[in-house]
Amino acid sequence: MNQPALPHAFTKVFETLSRDYLQGKEEVLRLSAIALLVGGHILVEDLPGLGKTTVALALAGVTGLSFGRVQCTSDLLPSDITGLSIFNREEGHFSFQPGPIFNNIVLLDEINRAMPRTQSAMLEAMEERRVTIEGVTHPLPNPFMVFATQNPSDQSGTFLLPESQLDRFLLCTGIGYPAEQLEREIIAGGGIRERIGSMAPLVTSAEIMAARSNVQAVYLSDKVLSYIHNIVLATRAHDLILTGLSTRAAINLAQTAKAAAFLAGRDYVAPDDVKSIAVAVSAHRLVMRSDMSTADRGGVIRTIIAGIALPLA
Amino acid sequence: MVAIRSLTTILTYVIGLCGMIPLFPWLTTFPRVILVAGLLSGLWQDRRGSWPMKSWMQNVAIVPVFLFYALQFSRANPIQPVISVLAIMLAVRLSGEKSVRHSLQIFALSMFCLASSSLFDLSPVFLIYLGLLLFMVALALVLLTFQNQDYAMTVSMPDLKRILFSALLMPILAVPLLLFFFPIMPRTQLPLWHFLNPPVSRTTGYSDTVEPGSQSSIAESRTLAFRAEMPRQALGQLYWRGTVFNRTDGIKWTRIDRIPSEQPVFTGQTVMQVIFPEPSAVRTLIALDRPASLALQRVKRSPDGVFELIGRAERRLSYTASSQSNGSIAQRNSINRLFYLQLPPRLPDRITALASEIVRAGKDDSTRVAYLENYFRSGGYRYSTRDLATGVRALEQFLFEKKQGHCEFFASSFALLLRAAGVPCRLVGGYLGGEFNQMGGYYLVTDDKAHVWVEAYIEGSGWVRIDPSSFATNAGDVWMPPGSRSLRLRITLAVDSFNHAWNRSVIAYDFEQQITIVRHVGSLLQGANPAKMLRSSAPYFAGCLLLAGLLFAARRASLFRSREQRILNRFLRMVEEKFDISTGMSGKGLFELASSADNSHVSEFVAIYAGALYHDRRLTDEEYLRLRQILRFLKDGKSKIP
Repeated sequence: MNQPALPHAFTKVFETLSRDYLQGKEEVLRLSAIALLVGGHILVEDLPGLGKTTVALALAGVTGLSFGRVQCTSDLLPSDITGLSIFNREEGHFSFQPGPIFNNIVLLDEINRAMPRTQSAMLEAMEERRVTIEGVTHPLPNPFMVFATQNPSDQSGTFLLPESQLDRFLLCTGIGYPAEQLEREIIAGGGIRERIGSMAPLVTSAEIMAARSNVQAVYLSDKVLSYIHNIVLATRAHDLILTGLSTRAAINLAQTAKAAAFLAGRDYVAPDDVKSIAVAVSAHRLVMRSDMSTADRGGVIRTIIAGIALPLA
Repeated sequence: MVAIRSLTTILTYVIGLCGMIPLFPWLTTFPRVILVAGLLSGLWQDRRGSWPMKSWMQNVAIVPVFLFYALQFSRANPIQPVISVLAIMLAVRLSGEKSVRHSLQIFALSMFCLASSSLFDLSPVFLIYLGLLLFMVALALVLLTFQNQDYAMTVSMPDLKRILFSALLMPILAVPLLLFFFPIMPRTQLPLWHFLNPPVSRTTGYSDTVEPGSQSSIAESRTLAFRAEMPRQALGQLYWRGTVFNRTDGIKWTRIDRIPSEQPVFTGQTVMQVIFPEPSAVRTLIALDRPASLALQRVKRSPDGVFELIGRAERRLSYTASSQSNGSIAQRNSINRLFYLQLPPRLPDRITALASEIVRAGKDDSTRVAYLENYFRSGGYRYSTRDLATGVRALEQFLFEKKQGHCEFFASSFALLLRAAGVPCRLVGGYLGGEFNQMGGYYLVTDDKAHVWVEAYIEGSGWVRIDPSSFATNAGDVWMPPGSRSLRLRITLAVDSFNHAWNRSVIAYDFEQQITIVRHVGSLLQGANPAKMLRSSAPYFAGCLLLAGLLFAARRASLFRSREQRILNRFLRMVEEKFDISTGMSGKGLFELASSADNSHVSEFVAIYAGALYHDRRLTDEEYLRLRQILRFLKDGKSKIP
């Protein structure tokens, strides 16, 4: 009744993607779509071989956006990402060669392998959405989204992202193993990289920009706002948590909840939307007490949410 | 952390003691010894933590005891065997390991023991034990359920507090019911067994003969004789008249019932009293000297101012008496002088000599009485309850040699001398004095206040009260009360006011009073003008109603919920029933519910309801109707909505 003539195409794209191409990766796809709609970046933390790269490729393929990839190593230099000016001998001046970051969707594979200096440059670009090289500022394309991955188990020779930089990622999620039956089908079908490569774009850049403005218009009621605020306050008062959620995190919770509602085909945010994104938005931003640093942050967030009454009436 | 097990053990012992202590005085020696031994061995074994006696051994050991007492049981002796078996069973259980089952048995046995103690005694202490027992049994039952789950369970202090609090709620909530049931439940006023079979009667105090010289000393007991509700009186007026002795054989004074009639003229101030005698086998009714009338049924009134109960008291008595006296009672006609001059055929020579000395002193009664008074006053007689004269010559010894004795010596020798000197007189037995209880507004008279004095008939004045004991040289020390009451006495008096209140309002509360209350209420209702009553009570009624309403509203704000809340609750209940999804505690959102239920009705309801709710607006009428329609469809289980 109250559903506006929302898209839609955009929702359909992701349904198609998870149904036809990436079975069992609905959640990470949904979160990627939310990141794209909010204009944030996503960090995927999981073991190699579970399809992190495939998801990023598929995302690029289905949206028809340009795709750049950076495989991070410890000797990766900032200029390897941002690009650099090369002297053109024929024309007699420097011309700027843009790096892989000048794409709509950028896959930063194993971001924790890059040295802090490079990480810092990348994260600055993510935040500012522009790159300044030799005094010239180059704006990054719009939409711009970083799809970073890191391998949590392999810690040797890596540089952990500091908390302040983790905060720049809108969402952080894992992928997990596919369900048993699904995995058998995937094994039987083989990889789908080729099929993804030949995928025809289903939405245009303009449609994405339109969807973004629709997300902004999703109604956030006072009740849900209080619900979000209660969650944030609860993380600040929790025993195991040293530093709770920041105001930026609270803003992000509201934005992503709007996007989630939009994807669910509604023009208002329900508490369910908040619940569906709370772990992905909050968990990586929590700073746990030193003796509790190994605690499962997602579990803590879920416990906190379970303790807060839903606004049902 | 507190171990539940140690708590239940302690409670079990305290409960056992609550059953034991009230019954203990009424038990014979064997059960008493077993009870103490059982308690001590139980404590010792619990301390050690091992129980060498298995419970089946104990059960077997009880059997011969049970058989022994079963053989003792007879119509003449029905109670002792039963309470002995109860006490021994309690002892055996206390001495064994306290499993949950055994603890419950101890609770039940303690209850029975306490209950059977009321066969002997209806003291207010029973209420204290009963209250304690009930509270602790309630506590222990709750704790035992925990122990039953896990023998070695421990709980933290805050948890324990919560458990104890909720366990105490049960008995506390039952207290208002007590107030409701008290006026309507049947009751007994006397300890059923003990009163019908009184123990060996009291030895000191008030008796039906006066015989000085039967004992060389008397023990004074401070057991309660009676209470009298009345205004405070001067000490000199506090002579409580019981019976009158009119025959003497020279030593013993007795009462014969054929008493010549008298026509007393009552003058002076009337003193009204309500007397509450302690239950006893004595039939004489006490009242302040001298009682003009006594309001009680089935009472025999003698001309000499003695009131006696006909038959036996079947309940705790209380009666109103009105007395008038300033020490003498005039008579309209002259009395039968001969009756009150009766003497034994032979009197000791020294007494006869003294009597003739009195006769020589004057012709009229008052002169002779005054002479004898003077003789006593100047004779150096001492009041004492020890080192008394004994034997058949006791009075002679008292008068001329020992010169010390108690009231019986004084009064009977005085009366004997008066009669020998030709003055008609009689002995009056009763009580003197009493402690005035300020708190309860009554006199408390104990058996050690029993007293005997003389009434002499003086022509022109009538019967004049003479207390020969007051002529003793040490009379001041004995009769005058100490200036200030000791702390102990004050405490005793305070406790006694509670006892008295208990007897008055609980024990003596009977069917008659129940009827009286009902009648009172009935007459109030009949005599009342309904309109007037309504008008006068309307403000109270409205006030109560308002208060109740406010309380109700505060407690049940949910009753005044909005239309949205009501329909949501109906919806949630229905989802819970139909789809077996718990909605209350799981913290599921509406859309999560819809996807769990996977039902088009549920989804539509959620879409409409959440659409309104999360747009911060109320349901429109159409939406509301549609939601109700959906609920109906859900209820009917239709899959399609038309």
